[in-house]
Amino acid sequence: MKNSTQTAAKKLSLPHSLRLAVLATLVAVVLGIPMVALGTTDQNGSLILVQRWPWLLWLAIVIFVGRLFTAELAAHGVVDSLKTWLSSRHPNRPKFRDRNPAILWLRGKLPEPTVTLLLLAFLLPMMPFTDRYSIDLATTVLIYVMLGWGLNIVVGLAGLLDLGYVAFYAVGAYSYAIISQTLGLGFWETLPIAGLLAALFGILLGFPVLRLRGDYLAIVTLGFGEIIRIILLNWQSLTNGSRGIGGIARPEFFGLSMSQTAGGDSSTFVDWVNGNLTMIGQWFGGSEAGLEAYRLSYAPVHRITFLYFVILGLLFFTDFLVRRLRNLPIGRAWEALREDEIACRALGINPTMVKLSAFALGAGLGGLAGCFFAARQGFISPESFTFMESATVLAIVVLGGMGSQIGVVVAALFLVLVPELGRAFADYRMVGFGAAMVLIMVFRPEGFVGERKPSLILGLVGKAKSKAKTKGVQ
Amino acid sequence: MAKTTTAPLLTVTDLTLRFGGLVAVDHINLTAEKGEITAVIGPNGAGKTTLFNCLTGFYKPTSGESRIHRDGRDFILESLPPTRLISDAGICRTFQNIRLFQKMTVLENLIIAQHPGLMRASVWSIAGLLGTKKFRAAEAAAVAQARQWMERFDLLAYADLAAGNLPYGVQRRVEIARALCTHPVLLCLDEPAAGLNATESARLNELLLQIRRELGIGILLIEHDMSVVMQISDRIFVLDHGKVIASGTPAEIRKNPAVIAAYLGVEEEEEPAVLKQLSKKSPTQKATTPKTPTKNPSTKKVKKDGKK
Repeated sequence: MKNSTQTAAKKLSLPHSLRLAVLATLVAVVLGIPMVALGTTDQNGSLILVQRWPWLLWLAIVIFVGRLFTAELAAHGVVDSLKTWLSSRHPNRPKFRDRNPAILWLRGKLPEPTVTLLLLAFLLPMMPFTDRYSIDLATTVLIYVMLGWGLNIVVGLAGLLDLGYVAFYAVGAYSYAIISQTLGLGFWETLPIAGLLAALFGILLGFPVLRLRGDYLAIVTLGFGEIIRIILLNWQSLTNGSRGIGGIARPEFFGLSMSQTAGGDSSTFVDWVNGNLTMIGQWFGGSEAGLEAYRLSYAPVHRITFLYFVILGLLFFTDFLVRRLRNLPIGRAWEALREDEIACRALGINPTMVKLSAFALGAGLGGLAGCFFAARQGFISPESFTFMESATVLAIVVLGGMGSQIGVVVAALFLVLVPELGRAFADYRMVGFGAAMVLIMVFRPEGFVGERKPSLILGLVGKAKSKAKTKGVQ
Repeated sequence: MAKTTTAPLLTVTDLTLRFGGLVAVDHINLTAEKGEITAVIGPNGAGKTTLFNCLTGFYKPTSGESRIHRDGRDFILESLPPTRLISDAGICRTFQNIRLFQKMTVLENLIIAQHPGLMRASVWSIAGLLGTKKFRAAEAAAVAQARQWMERFDLLAYADLAAGNLPYGVQRRVEIARALCTHPVLLCLDEPAAGLNATESARLNELLLQIRRELGIGILLIEHDMSVVMQISDRIFVLDHGKVIASGTPAEIRKNPAVIAAYLGVEEEEEPAVLKQLSKKSPTQKATTPKTPTKNPSTKKVKKDGKK
């Protein structure tokens, strides 16, 4: 039976595949006329139109052959088998990593995967191949991880689609910029204030959208994100409008400035280290000349490395907090809300409190990330808080696998590093990036880490298997 | 069943709910007793689920009231906020189309049912984050309770599996177990036998009888499956077009002409005639037959499908 249908499919597949290929080629040609065949170029200061019809022909041929090939593959079941091989849609099937004794042993020894990764990240600045650029890039990745973990509470756990997450990031950043410049508070004092302010905005947004779900919620949050950005643009007296706020104080290391020169009566980190070096050297009776080799001289990479460790520290805190909360009643309530709000109400859970707590906590973490962002950049303007940022963070959460902590890390690495590494390919990098996203969503619709780890395990799995088996027989 | 109190567990008085011109629930009076299974039956669209939604706080009735008599105290359901319906009045429901938290495990489903208590124990999650002894004890107690229900309902084997992947019959049991984890005094089941095969349905009967026997709580049941209703109910209320048209024991209901008329489907004009005919044939009926068959004409015109 199965064989006969398969051969039938094979016989019939070619005309169908041809149809698909022609359709795809047609779309490509229509799109290609303005995008490929016609182009403009600058000649002697005036724009002239260039025509590249052979390019369009090549494009059509490539699309036709490619689509025919993939359609044939799909018709012969190759794509399906590849999909089942790649996807984790069968949650009760033991995975390779659950069967492999080496991996199981290693997993028993290592801490949580996120903690392991963060510990590895701790070593990055000490690696011989790292330079200023890579630490800076890694800091960017870590900011997105932080944002991803914050949004993951709202979208991944509580299931509330939030398209305006950047608003809280902006609130955190502007809180630090404004507070440090008007009240003169430092980074570490302002950090909790920025987090709390952002959480307050989270609740502020939460109240009007309590009744909304899905698409409607997404639209309102989208609007909220824009409102915040437009306020930042127009409230000249407070935010300095589109010119932004510059000269934001850098974070200090226990009161030591990480800059070349310290303001006021504080000293710089380099001076402090060298001072102590002299002191220790004198204890051990070393000569001034011998110590000279160990003396630090100021380098901008110190500050960049320090910032990297600051965000890493924030991530350790966030990871601990979110993982812990997820296994507490509040975390289970978030997930229950995502699964079925009506059932939640029928069990006496107050959806209002659950939603507001998710919004507040997610926003608060976004605020912390924003505060760090402002301190790192030293300059912020509404330009940095456009919808594109919200979309990127949301893509990180969705691509990582809704609700998965480690998934966010993987997705943030992917989404920040791939466009960055693709810089060499200039204009084509976004095309490649888009293609990569499409492929991931086709083959892993549930994200990089699709499966969910229960918050509580009864620990009867061994017994349960045998029992379930006998159940099946009777 | 020896009753300790005289007042019934649930008393519904003149409950009415209008949706615009449609009267979905029309001056319903009914009672449910502790330690008894009370069934609510009726043709499709009779207002059974709407009645449930009124009782469990999903709809606000237009008029009338329902009260739960628990430990010598009366709770008026309409005046309680939804969260206190479960904790104070002790009324908990299941759904016609199963509403489990599908991606979560069976154990987690049962733990969430104990959320309000656990949330209090975790003191705004602060005690939970710190992992205080008191919180851990509360959590262990919740797991123990969930475990006890899973043992009773034969669910231990599925404890750590995602609820959404389980067979339909098992999901039904999980949903009932989850409702019981809230310590209800009145368990409202909305068509628990829907979608079950004969074996599963027989097993459900047993389970409900066991709950009644061992816990002594009241069960309010909406059901289409007559094999369930007739076998296990102590009392039956028949609803048609939002009104109670009959009530009594299964034996009485089986003979009731109004019920037969409602189920077989009789045109409005013919109804009095049929009733007259039927009442001649079975004089034993004690039904509260409808006084006036003049109902909402728009919903009455269509001839109803014959039901078993």
